[in-house]
Amino acid sequence: MNGDIRELYQQMIMDHNKNPRNFHAMAGADRTVEGYNPLCGDHFKVYLKLEGDVIKDISFDGSGCAISKSSASMMTAALKGKTRGEAKALFEEVHKMLSRGIDEPFDAAKVGKLATLGGVCEFPARVKCASLAWHTMLEGLEPTGKQVTTE
Amino acid sequence: MPPYQGGGDMIRSVSFEKTIYNDLPYKFEAGTPHIAGVIGLGVAIDYISSIGLDRIEAYEQELLKYGTEKLLQIPDLRLIGTAKHKSAILSFVLGEAHAHDIGTILDRQGIAIRAGHHCAMPVMERFNVPATTRASLAFYNTREEIDRLVAALHEVTEVFR
Repeated sequence: MNGDIRELYQQMIMDHNKNPRNFHAMAGADRTVEGYNPLCGDHFKVYLKLEGDVIKDISFDGSGCAISKSSASMMTAALKGKTRGEAKALFEEVHKMLSRGIDEPFDAAKVGKLATLGGVCEFPARVKCASLAWHTMLEGLEPTGKQVTTE
Repeated sequence: MPPYQGGGDMIRSVSFEKTIYNDLPYKFEAGTPHIAGVIGLGVAIDYISSIGLDRIEAYEQELLKYGTEKLLQIPDLRLIGTAKHKSAILSFVLGEAHAHDIGTILDRQGIAIRAGHHCAMPVMERFNVPATTRASLAFYNTREEIDRLVAALHEVTEVFR
């Protein structure tokens, strides 16, 4: 099989796709934000429970491709218990990782397990899938009132 | 109706007092027309005529039959659209694999397909099919290419196992 396909669809990504974490609606969420890419059909909601500066709980539901779903799942696992500042910083790092040039390195230590999404930058058409949940989450933390989309 | 853009050939006369536009269709065809495109279209029509639409259709239907048989042998593949008389297109869903993931994997093998809702959102929502993968066959496609498609779909199944 094609090497970069293996790199893209790594076991951890396929595992999150099959058994997504925090994959449910949240009763009593402080923020519910919808992210939608109409051209490809990826459609998720991200739910946030905030306590002061801390993301007390985060979940998501909806449907989409393996990349968008596993990215959303890994995001919720990474952000639970983080402060807004930490979440924003991680958003920036993930954004950098996804949108970098193919030959540019990225600092894997800063993103932890999310480094498995690093192969996405080889597939420019799929960057929008991997980043959808992240932009949706950010809209929850810093509302602009705009419809969230990465297309 | 006023012209929507200005340019060569759409004017009859211009003075400080008034402007008179050319007759139709020139009034709406400002500037250099798409000459190369028109010549290309003519050549394309000649080419299709030299082969014959009947022969093209017969060949495409033969490919469709071959492709349908081959695809139906893939476990968990469901064809969407099985009308008796249809154009040579094969729309399908494959197990749990999302159409866009299938698209990426096929693309890496040099196989171009369409993925998504194919401008048919209402009907797809009605039947609860979020997205399909669609291979369109034309008279320049071959049985070997269908075999390649089938082999690549087995790889998809492999990734999504």
